[in-house]
Amino acid sequence: MNKINHQQTANNVETQSVERMKAKDPPTPSKKPKSPKPQNAVTIAVSSRALFNMEFEQQIFEQKGMEEYLKYQLDHETEPFAPGPAFPFIKALESVNEQLRNLYPDSEELFDVVLMTNNHAHAGIRLINSINHHNLFVERFCMTGGNSPIGYLKAYHTNLYLSADSSKVREAIEEGIAAATMFSAEKVTQVSETQLRVAFDGDAVLFSDESERIYKTQGLEKFFEHEKTYENKPLDHGPLKGFLEALGKLQRKFYAKGHRIDCPIRTYLVTARSAASSGSRALKTLRAWGLETDEALFLAGAPKGPMLAKIKPHIFFDDQMFHIEGAAELGTVAAHVPYGIAQKMPPKKTKDI
Amino acid sequence: MDPQSDCTLVTAVSCHDIFDLQTGQSDSSPLAKGTAFAFIKAVQSVNERLVKLSEKQTLLFEVILLGKDCEEQAKSKIFDSAKYYDLEIGKFCFCSKEKFERTLQENHVKLFLSSDRDDVHSALKAGVPAALLCQQADQQVQNQLKVLFSGDLIGLTEDSTEYLKDLGFNDVQIHNFKAAKGRIQEFAMLIGEMRRRFGCEDSPLHTILMTVWGSRDICATALKTLRAWGLDVDEAFCLAGAPCTPILTVLQPHILWDDGLHNLKET
Repeated sequence: MNKINHQQTANNVETQSVERMKAKDPPTPSKKPKSPKPQNAVTIAVSSRALFNMEFEQQIFEQKGMEEYLKYQLDHETEPFAPGPAFPFIKALESVNEQLRNLYPDSEELFDVVLMTNNHAHAGIRLINSINHHNLFVERFCMTGGNSPIGYLKAYHTNLYLSADSSKVREAIEEGIAAATMFSAEKVTQVSETQLRVAFDGDAVLFSDESERIYKTQGLEKFFEHEKTYENKPLDHGPLKGFLEALGKLQRKFYAKGHRIDCPIRTYLVTARSAASSGSRALKTLRAWGLETDEALFLAGAPKGPMLAKIKPHIFFDDQMFHIEGAAELGTVAAHVPYGIAQKMPPKKTKDI
Repeated sequence: MDPQSDCTLVTAVSCHDIFDLQTGQSDSSPLAKGTAFAFIKAVQSVNERLVKLSEKQTLLFEVILLGKDCEEQAKSKIFDSAKYYDLEIGKFCFCSKEKFERTLQENHVKLFLSSDRDDVHSALKAGVPAALLCQQADQQVQNQLKVLFSGDLIGLTEDSTEYLKDLGFNDVQIHNFKAAKGRIQEFAMLIGEMRRRFGCEDSPLHTILMTVWGSRDICATALKTLRAWGLDVDEAFCLAGAPCTPILTVLQPHILWDDGLHNLKET
């Protein structure tokens, strides 16, 4: 029932409509667990286009406008959407929640998923039908009818915001909320349904872009020199540091009950820094923050795609589209963090941080 | 009933909400603005837009000012201030406290708004549709009239009262909520009709559904019910028990129709 459908390309509209299944009756609801209070939970806000595949509908909106778009949604209300790029990630969160509830039945320290969409409430019933169809635990939603989601993101103490709309993601980051842009992919690898795996780039994602600036403006040699000189000075924090911290807190709950090796949450640092030199500062910074990742992969500038294909994370965060594309080419769901100097300068094709 | 007046959305507002009658002021200056000020101005811009669409428009808001136990001096101050601020008030009704509910009934009020929860409650008890008038964070006139409906009330069905019992509401209260759902209907239908006069974007009237405790299925029921009544809301929120104050602070609705179901204080 929870089979993850592979994404179709945008051109393949005919096949897409054939794939749309009519909604089955929702399964008999057992008593659902209560949603945790926002301040206790790790809140993930996800947009409708990140959670579901709405490419066809998006095309209608772009080509024919709002009224046609809403009419289409209404006419197809009983047809659930197929999964979108964030779907496997959200499913894995639910699996972690189940395991957390088994170990700590009274705790509210869980993942909480909020559907945060710009859609008008007219499309609301179709979205709710889709959530029911896929048996997702999404009880909270905000359909803002075109208004900015920022105020609501804050009201929910959002720890991570995923959206297909890069301008909203940018806005969120500027307001200090961890956020990343998601893209639909043509090829998506099957990922674990029981262990959540999250991979992070280092500079301008977990860390600030201070060192990346040096590399981009003064070159590789200067970068190495700088990192060596300041090896013991922790880097400043980047937009996703808080999210790694939140994951770490949940991981420690599993460790406390003896689940260290088989922890249902696993984190990875995937950086272009090299183990021999500049990588040291990255590790020391994490240590200074009291944080860690389960694995740290120093690629010394090699492409990240193949390594990620081995790791099979549910999501990979990077600030550079070059790496995002490289990851997606080999089937990894990669989300773009529009932060730092990389957004202002053209991408370098050769050795990168 | 006169078919003409049947279409008019007669809304009664207490003069204590329109103007600040407490703080003393000199004889010459107008009364200070109250909670309802932004609401009235927003209603006026909706009317303006409706009339622009069709001059023979009958579906309009009509605002009635209600004054409970007002002194003669205050009455003339109220008239003058309303004129000063260019408020389109259809009728000024001054009555005693005892005749308050009767005055509402006699004027075929489709909605009584007050920032005083007790007043709202008495009106509801007398069978008059009533809702809470919300304090706006900044008294700056908004160019949109925002009306918020409770999904917990509208999504209520025979089978779905369990969760209200779990929250601690008793059978009498639940019965009252069901009755409340009936009262909202007429108002919601009129708002729906008005809303349809405008397009999806750039509407002076903005409708919101908020389900505070109900599940997403309760919210879906509420959306379908409203649609059956002719109202397709613009925004929808399902909180699943999260505190509503932070969300309301962002939304800033003028009218909040929850029939006393929700306590707006942080739980």
